[in-house]
Amino acid sequence: MTLTVFADRMSQPSRAIIIFCKVNGIDFEEVRIDLSKRQHLSPQFQEINPMKKVPAIVDGRFKLFESHAILIYLACSFPGIADHWYPADLFLRAKIHSVLDWHHSNLRSGAAGYVLNSTLGPALGLPLNPEAAAKSEKLLSASLGKIESFWLKGRGRFLLGSTQPSIADLSLVCEIMQLELVDEKDRERILGPHKRVMKWVADTKNATSPHFDQVHSVLLKVKEKLQSKKAIGETSQNVLPSKL
Amino acid sequence: MELKVYSDRLSQPSRTILIFCKANGIEFEEVKIDLGKGQHLSAEYAALNPMKQVPAIVHGDFKLFESHAILIYLASAFPGVAHHWYPADIRERAKVHAVLDWHHTNLRRGSIGFIFNNTVCLAFGIPVNPVAAAKGEKLLSASLARIESFWLQEDGPFLLGNAKPTIADLALVCEIMQLEAGDKDDRDRILSPHKRVVKWMEDVKIASAPHFEEVHAIMGPVRDKLKQLKIQAIEKSE
Repeated sequence: MTLTVFADRMSQPSRAIIIFCKVNGIDFEEVRIDLSKRQHLSPQFQEINPMKKVPAIVDGRFKLFESHAILIYLACSFPGIADHWYPADLFLRAKIHSVLDWHHSNLRSGAAGYVLNSTLGPALGLPLNPEAAAKSEKLLSASLGKIESFWLKGRGRFLLGSTQPSIADLSLVCEIMQLELVDEKDRERILGPHKRVMKWVADTKNATSPHFDQVHSVLLKVKEKLQSKKAIGETSQNVLPSKL
Repeated sequence: MELKVYSDRLSQPSRTILIFCKANGIEFEEVKIDLGKGQHLSAEYAALNPMKQVPAIVHGDFKLFESHAILIYLASAFPGVAHHWYPADIRERAKVHAVLDWHHTNLRRGSIGFIFNNTVCLAFGIPVNPVAAAKGEKLLSASLARIESFWLQEDGPFLLGNAKPTIADLALVCEIMQLEAGDKDDRDRILSPHKRVVKWMEDVKIASAPHFEEVHAIMGPVRDKLKQLKIQAIEKSE
């Protein structure tokens, strides 16, 4: 086995890589880089990824970071991976690149910003920032709207009208799953209006079962801890990890 | 099949696409979408790109937006494009993807944060935002340092130690060229600590000559115009 995946399951793009490998039967060793323990800042991990972020992979002696680059590399390097994950067709492939690029400054920016400023902040020693959270929520909601009105258009259940999922579905849905950490009523307010998005999340989950739920189980555990800390009225210094 | 490139030369990723096409002899029609006049917000343009941004392309009846996706598509679809722009080797290609992805939230974010909030905003009737500009400058400077310490390597003059440029070199250098729209003193302050970046920019310019300079010819007049707007804005506030 030559592939090592350096990841923290609290990190959305880490989860996308792990699920992709498991679904496609790619042999790999998962090395946990615990963000809550600041392991991403160690000199050893810096050798792997000088940007000090997860996920990163090492395949033989080949090092790579940035989850979209990793997903594409894995889809092209390992045998037996179904074409729908990263189609050979130039037009379909270009559209996948387009939505993955759009993701950086839209869904990811909005979702990560919202979760951090409304919920995770105190776990990282940062104050909650309702103003920043509201700004991020606006971008997040606009992004979900764009997914419904544009990216999910077409005859299939997945992005770009596809009948099967691609790496883009996995990447974006793992991002949306981070909302599992926030209050039920907030999640309902943000996601509730977007029925088509919710169906697409469920379809992606089903297409990658049982791995999707298994990899996401960490979110539920962390959420329970966050809620119990909240009930006791503490700020969660040591519950939660990541700079997400 | 006809290729149309919808662009505004004020937009960094627009310039990247234009230079790439010209440098590779790709025939296309440049359709100007004037950002200053709000043409990107029209219903007609939204039909081409619902995100209402430039650049976008239409090739036959295939529509595409997001400049990195466009660069990859053009490099793959046109047989005359030299291989060094988008290597066929999976690992070399992966590295190109990695730097293009890193670019979104680092160099581009920092560069826009600085130059838009410091100067370019005036072209859209938006006042200067010194706090946002300072934040952008911090990220921009950190990104330039990262390009020097990591992305530019010993083996060759271009990103990832390559002997010849890739689409990533063009995309990132066009971004840094946006500093030409602002004050020369600001540009010198930000760039002068990074001698290797300055050399790399020259190398990319030479590798895509004469198109790089021709497409960037707009920056001089834009800088002068924005300087005027800045003076007017200061006079107004006094």
